[in-house]
Amino acid sequence: MPYLDMRAITKRFLGVVANSNVDLTVEVGEIHALVGENGAGKTTLMKILYGMEKPDSGEIFLDDRLVNIVNPFTAIRMGIGMVHQHFQLVPSLTVAENVALGYEPKKGLFVERNELVKRVQALSEKFGLKVDPHAQVSNLSVGIQQRVEILKLLYRDSKLLILDEPTAVLTPQEIHELFDVVRALVREGRTAILITHKLDEVMSICGRATILRSGVVVDQVKIKETTVAEIARLMVGSSVEVVQRTSTPGGSQPILTLNQISSRDERGLSVLKDISFTVNAGEIVGLAGVEGNGQNELIDVLIGNTKPDQGSVELGTHNLTMAKARTRREIGMSFIPEDRNAQGVSSELTIWENSIANNYYRSPISKWGWLRINSARGQAKKAIRDFDIRARDETATVAELSGGNTQKVIIARELSAQPLALVAAQPTRGLDIGAARFVHERLLALRLSGVSILLISADLDEIMALSDRIAVIFEGSVQKVLESKEASREELGLLMTGKRTPLTANE
Amino acid sequence: MNNLKHTVRVIITLSLAIIIGGVIVELSGKDAIYAYTILFTTAFGSKLALANTLLAATPLIFTGLAAVVAFRAGVFNVGVEGSLFIGAFAAAWVGFTLIELPAVAIITLSFVAGGLAGGLWGAFPGYLKARLRVDEIVSTIMLNYVAILFTGYLVSGPFLMEGASNAMSDKIASQAQLLRLIPKSQLNISIFVALAVFVGVWILLRRTTFGFEIKSLGTNPVFARWSGMPVGRIIVLAMFISGFIGGLAGASQVAGVHYRFIAGFSPGLGFTGIVVALLGRNSAVGALLAAFFFGALRNGGTTMEMFTRIPRDLIAILEALIIFFVAIELGLDWLRFRRKRPEQEK
Repeated sequence: MPYLDMRAITKRFLGVVANSNVDLTVEVGEIHALVGENGAGKTTLMKILYGMEKPDSGEIFLDDRLVNIVNPFTAIRMGIGMVHQHFQLVPSLTVAENVALGYEPKKGLFVERNELVKRVQALSEKFGLKVDPHAQVSNLSVGIQQRVEILKLLYRDSKLLILDEPTAVLTPQEIHELFDVVRALVREGRTAILITHKLDEVMSICGRATILRSGVVVDQVKIKETTVAEIARLMVGSSVEVVQRTSTPGGSQPILTLNQISSRDERGLSVLKDISFTVNAGEIVGLAGVEGNGQNELIDVLIGNTKPDQGSVELGTHNLTMAKARTRREIGMSFIPEDRNAQGVSSELTIWENSIANNYYRSPISKWGWLRINSARGQAKKAIRDFDIRARDETATVAELSGGNTQKVIIARELSAQPLALVAAQPTRGLDIGAARFVHERLLALRLSGVSILLISADLDEIMALSDRIAVIFEGSVQKVLESKEASREELGLLMTGKRTPLTANE
Repeated sequence: MNNLKHTVRVIITLSLAIIIGGVIVELSGKDAIYAYTILFTTAFGSKLALANTLLAATPLIFTGLAAVVAFRAGVFNVGVEGSLFIGAFAAAWVGFTLIELPAVAIITLSFVAGGLAGGLWGAFPGYLKARLRVDEIVSTIMLNYVAILFTGYLVSGPFLMEGASNAMSDKIASQAQLLRLIPKSQLNISIFVALAVFVGVWILLRRTTFGFEIKSLGTNPVFARWSGMPVGRIIVLAMFISGFIGGLAGASQVAGVHYRFIAGFSPGLGFTGIVVALLGRNSAVGALLAAFFFGALRNGGTTMEMFTRIPRDLIAILEALIIFFVAIELGLDWLRFRRKRPEQEK
């Protein structure tokens, strides 16, 4: 008898089917994986379960009773809790206040603070979720914030925990700790649904997996009886080839050189400390690190948004430390920014307008200050063809595109400049497997053609698969630069958290 | 699709304003249908009525387009009024100083001087924003007072007409006065200048690289910077153009209507331009239509008050309601945008 039984759930948005006849059964005490590419309908299904969306048809049974979940309050009352991908915390409140928000112990009109702290402390100790109840949430790292989110569910005594992409922002160590907590919760009779597209996590922690593709359940599998490759095949509908870089880097001539860069933020805190490394022609250097350890500040220095207090950025023989963004681009730098909607495109503008953002002022797009719309559209048409951008045509606005296609618009533009060096920040974040593979292939092709690539990513698998060398950044300084083939996940993970432990044989 | 949606929204906005305005007229014991009938006939009912509507629309076409150029670049220029005053004085100065020049030269010079003066007046807060991140809303509002009071001082002292009791300048030379098009109406050829500016702005935004920079900056400043666009230069230049058009508005009033600079002559033409731009959805075509609409209201309102007992304040109420609804609509858009954003980020 399943604990949760969702039957024939169907949900359409403006004619697009997000869920079609989806069945999902989860047993008590199970960790159930809900896997699928972006847009496969995982989040929609969970939002229906959590009362945030209403299904067009279908039934939900909880503990064998037909339930009608009209909003999240009902869901919470029924013991369903959800940790969203974007945390729902109030940054200015303390941990305890956040945990109890809306369900505070009260005496008359007043919140009983001591009681509140006591309860949160008790929960935190019981489940090994170490956190200071008095700490202000805005001062906490992402990993700790996630603990607060989980505590929130436990405080409300949720029996069924939905975790939406919980590991996306965690270090390997933090992921480890998270999984320990989830296992402990399940052991004492709770149930968890894990939304993810990281298959190794599914294999390591889940009992069963339901695989969604384009809103339809493709299969439900027992993890013990399947393989990563099998799940991946079910997700994308074809066998995933593992993109691997070919052995030799294109050359050893240094192209992009960072020389002892140090920088402080507006509060005077040191954010970059003496960063030096080079990226050679035809080489991919991966910058690994947990987000928020200086990557964004380094990118700002690379594109010229901020000038470093010390040190220099050089491209070939040009010193670009003080150069404007346009000069850098003209001399041969291209950028795939981390936040594509904020930095990479203007989503209200059309595809063709977005694809000329780096050369609109030059021939053949511009002549005497006039925009030659036909050549601009021609350039965009070529990008759509070459990069297989799925769009109505080049006059569609970027807002109409999926994340993967938006990224393709950016990459097409940035590569059309035929750069000497490319700075690619989180280039596959949020993309589905197909689009991510496409991006990886492009980066590798670019490497073969002799471009130096600085790959900044929080995804260790990506870094390890693509990079020739790996630099690890922690708290604004590069811990170590190592040859990719000599790097292990464990060592990288340790370096990313600031531990310079030498490699030991057993681990 | 988008245009259609905007048009429908504008029609809803205007209808609501007209209905609520009507209710208010009814509540004050007057006949709303009658008021609107009179309003309509006095705005469009005869050749003269139509001419006066166009006359009232002329400065609003300028100021509306001035606002459009700045808004499209994401710069909230509230200083068109100031540029209008500075431009008006500069045009008047040419008109009453260089009186030896032939008509074509003096008229051209008046407009160029008005535009340049207004443009520089606009470029200054633009520069402050680009360089020192001074908020343009605050600086342009303050500069409006400076412009209005400074020009008022000029015609109260150094350039006061001899023997005048009000603060006004000398009349401009007769050959500097613009040709009027219809007897008994002050409608003059500056409406063609306004239409030319409309065409210019339309082309600027659609067909030039600078227009592309304006749109990129206005829709996403971070993107513009990452793409390597000269953001500071775009801000200053957009503000210059905005101020230039505002200055032309002033020149058109001096050379076509008043024939001199009169202290405090503008009843907020620059501010109405902001409403014109917003109602016109920040497009050149939209602003042109909205300017005609407001021109009709203003003209109709004035005449309506003369012939009926319905006060002109009805017009002020209608304008306020329109601003109100446009503001609500923009506010809703903003909310929707904020709600949609986090979900898109996945």
